[in-house]
Amino acid sequence: MAHTLQILILGLALGGVFALMGAGLSLVFGVMRIVNLAHPVMIIGGAYVAYWGFRLWGVDPLVTLPIAAVILAAVGVILYKVVFEKEAKAATYSEMTVLLTFAVAMIIEGALGTAFSNTQRVTSPDYATDAIFIGDIFIPTGQLYAGIVSLVIISGLALFLKYSRFGYAIRATTQNRDAASLLGVNVNLVSMVSFAIGVGLAGAAGALVSFVFSFFPAKHWEWIAILMSLVVLGGMGSILGTVVAAFLLSVIAAFVGAYVGATWSTMTFFLALFLILIVRPQGLFGDKPELA
Amino acid sequence: MTRIALLAAAAAVAMTAGAVAQEGPIKIGASLPLTGNFSIAGQKHRQGYQLCIDLINEKGGINARQVELIVSDNRSDPATAINQYERFINVDDVDAVYGTFSSRLTFPVASILAKNNMVHPVPAGGALRIYTQGHKNIFYFQPNAAEYAGASLKEVIETLVPADNRPTTAAVVAADDFFANAIEAGLLGTTVTDPADGSVVADLSPGYLEQVGIEVVFNEKWPEEGFNDWLNLANSIKQSGAELIVGLTASAEEAVQLTRALKTVRATPKLVYLSQGTQAEFAEGTGSSADGILVHSSWHIDAPFQSVLVGEPFGNPEFAVAFKEAYGEVPDEDSAIPFAVCQAIEQAMTATGTTDNAKLGEWLSARTNDDPVRTILGRFAWDERGLPVDKPHLMTQWNDGELQFVFPTDEFKTSEMSYPKGGF
Repeated sequence: MAHTLQILILGLALGGVFALMGAGLSLVFGVMRIVNLAHPVMIIGGAYVAYWGFRLWGVDPLVTLPIAAVILAAVGVILYKVVFEKEAKAATYSEMTVLLTFAVAMIIEGALGTAFSNTQRVTSPDYATDAIFIGDIFIPTGQLYAGIVSLVIISGLALFLKYSRFGYAIRATTQNRDAASLLGVNVNLVSMVSFAIGVGLAGAAGALVSFVFSFFPAKHWEWIAILMSLVVLGGMGSILGTVVAAFLLSVIAAFVGAYVGATWSTMTFFLALFLILIVRPQGLFGDKPELA
Repeated sequence: MTRIALLAAAAAVAMTAGAVAQEGPIKIGASLPLTGNFSIAGQKHRQGYQLCIDLINEKGGINARQVELIVSDNRSDPATAINQYERFINVDDVDAVYGTFSSRLTFPVASILAKNNMVHPVPAGGALRIYTQGHKNIFYFQPNAAEYAGASLKEVIETLVPADNRPTTAAVVAADDFFANAIEAGLLGTTVTDPADGSVVADLSPGYLEQVGIEVVFNEKWPEEGFNDWLNLANSIKQSGAELIVGLTASAEEAVQLTRALKTVRATPKLVYLSQGTQAEFAEGTGSSADGILVHSSWHIDAPFQSVLVGEPFGNPEFAVAFKEAYGEVPDEDSAIPFAVCQAIEQAMTATGTTDNAKLGEWLSARTNDDPVRTILGRFAWDERGLPVDKPHLMTQWNDGELQFVFPTDEFKTSEMSYPKGGF
């Protein structure tokens, strides 16, 4: 029983980190229909901000987190203006963004490698490798703090989307871009801000990732498939769905790793991706696609 | 008369141009994983190769010719590595090649280089199966095939650990990777087979751990890429109660993740042995948790090997100084090994006076323990498979942030091994 509880805790701990990593990806797709393959490399960018803050000045990654979010959000604004804005009305916009963001990911990876080298990094605040023990059960403090911060940020985002005037505009744009525009919503501004928030969330997630996982510029290729499986399972564009999927899949993967074998734990995410596309392509919380 | 003079002048110009072409730089190609999973080691390999070539050129080059290194990034991808070596040979018309990093990349590359009759010096690619394919002119520049790396761990336990306090149980966890699988095969005593036809390459039973009276109570693999559940794995290791933890990681990054996870779950083994972790990045990522961890190595800065570069004595102290001047950091084995590869090819070209790969291969194959290649990794002579003869792995141990050299004890001065490890 204790063993089962321990595995559940470790799964939930990992899920908290994945939730924030996937939330920005989901938001950007929901509002703008951009399949942002560059999202994970932006997480790496945020991790570097936290790493250098910690290494040079000893600043805790949790303190650096808002700075990483702001820096990456600014990068998001620039990227939107340069890469995505003028193509937003194209009929094949979503398809185009797959290729565009793939290229952006490669360019950012190269830039990070040139600036910081391709060597691995990890920040090491004391809590990153500590744990709270209750009898034989332990809760890893690094993942615990990352999970709590992650849920606080996502809750704040949800409140912003639900109750703020700009949040209404974002949700309206998510539901029907043309209708929102007809009702006076500046969809271009909404898209730019949404993209910036999404990339800013990647920066915040990066600060958390910096002490949970070691990272280097090319590491993002390992995360894209995992994050996509979370977003697809949750329902493309549904932040709540992404959070639920992150916890669900991380817990399942933890049990698979413990009882079937570590080799298979990563497969859990991909298997879920296949199954959900066959059984419920709109995901757990997504809308059923309209028939043409 | 004028026409004859013009023809003579043209002929002279043509002959001069031909002579210049002949005396152009020696071109050497290396496909390295500068990005992707092996990028950390790949970058360091480039530094090692480039430093060696720069020093050779400063000393006047090889046979009075400067040397040019052509490096391509294979993104840690075997198919790209194959394509790049074919391009080096067929398009760039290189005179020689240096090997790439990792068994995963080396295995397919070896076939291409053998087909093109190129000498294949391998800096990192220790899986035994690479050397049982019948390739000629393949030469490995680490102590022995990875399957035999566990012999050093066995000898360390037999000679440096008090007999009444030895570990009796082990957890062996490994990346599902060519290199890690090879070391695991030696430790567990399994059979190594040829991937092409399933034939038995080597039967390693009963395995080094059983030979030293250690029972394996936990054995697990993680996937080659994308594994994140380190805490779960570390918890399972701890629950097994193993007194020896063997972590066969494919990269230093995995070694960092595993060590940090073992610290988090508060595992308390007597001894920890990792297959990767000599790098400065490992020390930075693990801090004092690394204390007491054993890592096998092919090179140590304190090993007083007498080597040669362009006919002049060149030891590890000179290598360390030159590396620090060039890159501003202390070298580790991932830079030292490619440097040794470069030294050996230089010695072969100097001795034979040519870049003809057939002659280079003959010369390298003819090395003996009495007349070896002399590198900063020590002496090298190879058996018919291309594996070094009589060359034990060095065993190092992290203590107080310093990678100390602890085994073998009968060759040169070593530090005292700390034991038991206890917690992280």
